[in-house]
Amino acid sequence: MPEPVTYRGMTLLVPDNDSEWKEFYAHARAHRLVVRRCAVCGLLRYPPSHACPWCMDLGWAWHEVSGRGTIYSYAIVHHAIQPGFKALTPYPVVLVELDEQRGRPTPDEALRIIANLVRPDLTPEAEASVAIGRRVRVVFQDLAEHLALPQFTLTDEPPAGRVWRLSE
Amino acid sequence: MKTLRDRYCIVGVGETEYSRGSGRTTRALAVEAVRRAILDAGLTARDVDGMMDYQSGDSTLANHVAPDLGIRLDFYMDVVGGGSSTEALVGLAMGAIETGMCRTVAIYRSMNGYSEFRIGGTGARAAQPVRGLDLAQVPFGMRSAGQNFAPTFMRHMYEYGTTSEQVAHVKVAHSKHASQNPKALLRERVSVADVVGSRWIVKPLHLLDCCLETDNATCLVVTSAERARDLRHRPVHVMGVAGRVSKPRLDFHWAHGPITRVAGYYAKDIVFGQAGIGPEDVDLTGSYDAFTFTTMLQLEEYGFCKKGEGGQYVSSGIIELGGRRPNNTSGGHLCEGYTHGMSMVIENVRQLRGTVDDSCPGAAEGVHSHDYAPGRCRQVKDAEIAMNLGWAVPPTGSALILRR
Repeated sequence: MPEPVTYRGMTLLVPDNDSEWKEFYAHARAHRLVVRRCAVCGLLRYPPSHACPWCMDLGWAWHEVSGRGTIYSYAIVHHAIQPGFKALTPYPVVLVELDEQRGRPTPDEALRIIANLVRPDLTPEAEASVAIGRRVRVVFQDLAEHLALPQFTLTDEPPAGRVWRLSE
Repeated sequence: MKTLRDRYCIVGVGETEYSRGSGRTTRALAVEAVRRAILDAGLTARDVDGMMDYQSGDSTLANHVAPDLGIRLDFYMDVVGGGSSTEALVGLAMGAIETGMCRTVAIYRSMNGYSEFRIGGTGARAAQPVRGLDLAQVPFGMRSAGQNFAPTFMRHMYEYGTTSEQVAHVKVAHSKHASQNPKALLRERVSVADVVGSRWIVKPLHLLDCCLETDNATCLVVTSAERARDLRHRPVHVMGVAGRVSKPRLDFHWAHGPITRVAGYYAKDIVFGQAGIGPEDVDLTGSYDAFTFTTMLQLEEYGFCKKGEGGQYVSSGIIELGGRRPNNTSGGHLCEGYTHGMSMVIENVRQLRGTVDDSCPGAAEGVHSHDYAPGRCRQVKDAEIAMNLGWAVPPTGSALILRR
């Protein structure tokens, strides 16, 4: 069993029999963001799961996505719960809508992912820069030989749709 | 639609003190709450033959609580889960009785939610490794309920222009109600300015947008309408129930938007369909106020106002005592104390009996002034139909409609 990874006081555990995350993190460590693609209907899904939520097929393959997307919603944590995050406050948590598969297979669905919004040096992005509609791309935070976390950072692309943030 | 409308009743309710440090085990708390509910119903230990409870590894089990009280069980079930279990278990208790497995079921929740196992993931839960589905969010510093739910509210603000000030009115209303409730932990009335001026916890939530972690146990006793006729109180009938109704992609509900849609969207037709009524027929609501905005989202989704107009609805005065449809008349999770949904059902049962425990001298006999000035009455006048809007997470909810 691989060594558990300690990150900000948390123990991240991905045992050998973890058929959801082990390969996801190996790809992330090679700086590839992958999701599962159904072998039959071709739809992409995240987080890793064992059947297609649209056609119930069990067949799938890892599929690399561009890692580009738009902030769909967010939160700014001022009061950290986990002790290892206290020094980072206020830190943004973002819900990113990836460019692939937006509005498919129904208009309300999309490939979305939770992460932190970070600067290129992986420190939390300034709160004033976080807004729904802003464009982001994936970056990887290497934590161990076998594990990296996908994070997101702002790009200078024009925003997708209306830009909005909570007023101070 | 098959319905058991009016064939089952909640006949007993009970709770311990709400505190922030019970100094007792969850077994001790549960035994006290279950005993109170049985006595409230006018029953004895011999009359109760079913027991159900819910928890997440943070509480005692039915097979410890029942024997303490000399109850021999024909049916019991310990269920894993939190909020929204309340209404679901009322429905399951009805099912257990309907099949003939038992005749009368006590449903309890017992938690040292402040002093032992805190919902936010601190306390006894903090040391657990992060694995499985939690890896999709916990490593990013998203663990507590507030952190989890915040993007839902933020998106609602984006889509509908909802404001912090509007939802602050939920806290204002519940604090008004709590000021009439001797059991409530926070009995001081607060203003909108107090709420939006309190410190940020996780934007867009301020401290006073969040409920109160609490130590307590609570209990409901369910039996058939036939059996209920001879018991101590005017029976409160179940008109309809929906249990743990969910959105698609419960593993990661953000994948299936609009994320501002919550489970009530799917639950409303089930519960109103059984009851044969609509939102306009409901006299008071009990909504799961883990946060101010969770109340708003549920009221919208069950059709008490149009989707997107929840901010205006909750700030209009309708949800306050004296308004057209008061919500959480005991003060709810925001002010009375956090009970994982149970206390709002208990309160609605007492409202329908006409015997809420306010400061009216004749409260126990059902004599109320309906004067909602501070420290006075909290009984809703002529309350006939009450509804509970249960919530676990944005994509899971339960609902219950009761009548006197």
